[in-house]
Amino acid sequence: MSGKAMLLLISGFTMLMMVVANNFNTVSGRVTDNYVDYFNKTTSHNIAISGANMAANLLFLDSTWNAGIPNKNYQGGKLNVTVQTIDAYKNIKRITSVGIFRRDTSKVEVTFAPSKFSKFAYYSIYEGTNIWWMNKDTVWGPFHTQDILRAANHPVFFGKASSKGGIKYYTNQATDKPYFYGGYEQGVDLSLPTNGVTALKTPAQNNGLYFNGNNSGQGTVYLKFSGDYLLYRYSTMTPYDSVHLPTAAPNGVIYVDNGVARIQGTVKGAYTIACSGTSSGKGTIWLDDDIVYSKDPRTDPTSTDMLGIVAQSNVWITDNTPNRSNINIHASIYVQNGGFGAEKYDTRPVSGTINLLGGIIQNTRQAVGTFNSGVIKTGFSKSYRYDTRFMTASPPFFPGTGGYEIVSWYE
Amino acid sequence: MGYSTILDILASIVMGGILLNTVLQLSDSAAEKTYNYSGELSLQQNLATVAQVIEYDFRKMGYCANWQNFPDPSKAIAAADSSSIKFYTDYDNDGDIDSIRYYLGSTSELTSTPNPRDRLLYRVVNNQTPNEVNLGITQFYLIYFDALGDTVHLPIANPGIISSYEINIRVESVYAYDEKYSSAYWRQIRLVARNLKNR
Repeated sequence: MSGKAMLLLISGFTMLMMVVANNFNTVSGRVTDNYVDYFNKTTSHNIAISGANMAANLLFLDSTWNAGIPNKNYQGGKLNVTVQTIDAYKNIKRITSVGIFRRDTSKVEVTFAPSKFSKFAYYSIYEGTNIWWMNKDTVWGPFHTQDILRAANHPVFFGKASSKGGIKYYTNQATDKPYFYGGYEQGVDLSLPTNGVTALKTPAQNNGLYFNGNNSGQGTVYLKFSGDYLLYRYSTMTPYDSVHLPTAAPNGVIYVDNGVARIQGTVKGAYTIACSGTSSGKGTIWLDDDIVYSKDPRTDPTSTDMLGIVAQSNVWITDNTPNRSNINIHASIYVQNGGFGAEKYDTRPVSGTINLLGGIIQNTRQAVGTFNSGVIKTGFSKSYRYDTRFMTASPPFFPGTGGYEIVSWYE
Repeated sequence: MGYSTILDILASIVMGGILLNTVLQLSDSAAEKTYNYSGELSLQQNLATVAQVIEYDFRKMGYCANWQNFPDPSKAIAAADSSSIKFYTDYDNDGDIDSIRYYLGSTSELTSTPNPRDRLLYRVVNNQTPNEVNLGITQFYLIYFDALGDTVHLPIANPGIISSYEINIRVESVYAYDEKYSSAYWRQIRLVARNLKNR
């Protein structure tokens, strides 16, 4: 009897212990499952991100790449990348990268748009060995230099900044480190295209306004924007002729071929004025007076006025009477071989301030005035403000980088 | 016979007592282990859930389905502190910019749970009522880094300087056996929202 009781007792305890042990095992297993589940999700996500990065790199290297990456084994999972053109007119592309790991799937979508130089608030190839970005300098939009970014006493960059040559500090990092509010990348190689200006010739001849500087007596063109009209002449001794710009240049391109352009006025609409030529001062655009929008986008957000000034040689602020008391410039300025500066910057009288709304993209940084102990002695002071519309829009046919930039990353 | 019976009874009582004590200890131990194991399971699930929710939102910082509506994503972070952050994103992918704010409540808000350290983590979308997340969070700590990888010191006057951040979360069991709270820790060492500095 007692033997049976003992047997029952032991069996009962054994059963009880098995239930408890099973419970522990189940709980322990679920804890592990939980970790495994998180690991699977993270891994599939990482595979998708890796695919997007690989595809983005391929698209950066070859802007025509559209093969995708089909069904690739990667990190113990599978990777599928497709490339679509979602807007053929604007040439917007989208990469969709799907990462699969065990039972989990993750997707990353990256949208690309053609990159234009007009997005830069400031761009240069050569900065000059002795020009430093100082604590008084603030750049409000994207910045890039192919040179070294020389920083002294904490200059401020509100847009994304990049440089090919890294950063050089005047004294040391602690006292000179720039404040990057839009991020910073070094080693970025983004050179100016050699055909940035001449590429506009064909659009101007086809559906824009074309001035041939090779014609006798037409080497210099005086252009005055006046609302919907463009006044032009080839000599200050003759009266202006005029064209209705929306009719004469429906694609918005005005091109002076192998000549000199002297411009001023009030721009209504979106236009790019380009000037080609490299010899004897040709390819230069002179700013004879203010050139401004009919609606200032800072006060009127509905403004669609937009101007690109694209020169092969230089863009100079003319040393003349109208420019002796400030100059207002609303445009993104692109100079392929030279830079943007003031004529006779070191001998002209103190001329007020350059009020620029737009950006400067130039080969070589140029001077606009001289200073002594912080006091202006000749030329201009600077007040450059970035036109934030250039982050998402550009003047017609404004030179592009030839590549794409990421405008949206969804994961 | 009489002595033998009494000795048998006494021995049975002693043996029964030992057996009963063993059973009781076993029961107590089983209850504790079950409680702790279950608590740890909840803890892990809570931590994984919080991590996934936070990663999902934070990665979208600066994102907008209609990217032209968000011309300068570097301004996506509106405010940042050690235990709170507000940023702009298109969280529902509809092309409109939304704001999301995370902040940690005080310990006094959660007196209903035995754990004296757990707090409510709030998630606020636009101007909606804050969503309370009570997952046993005892720490939600953010560290920010600038474009050169240096730590950004608090308070942050201009959040645009933030390029990446570290997220630290500690979760403890809300209830515990004998006040022995289990805890788990999750840290995202460098989270870089891809849209934040892409243009």
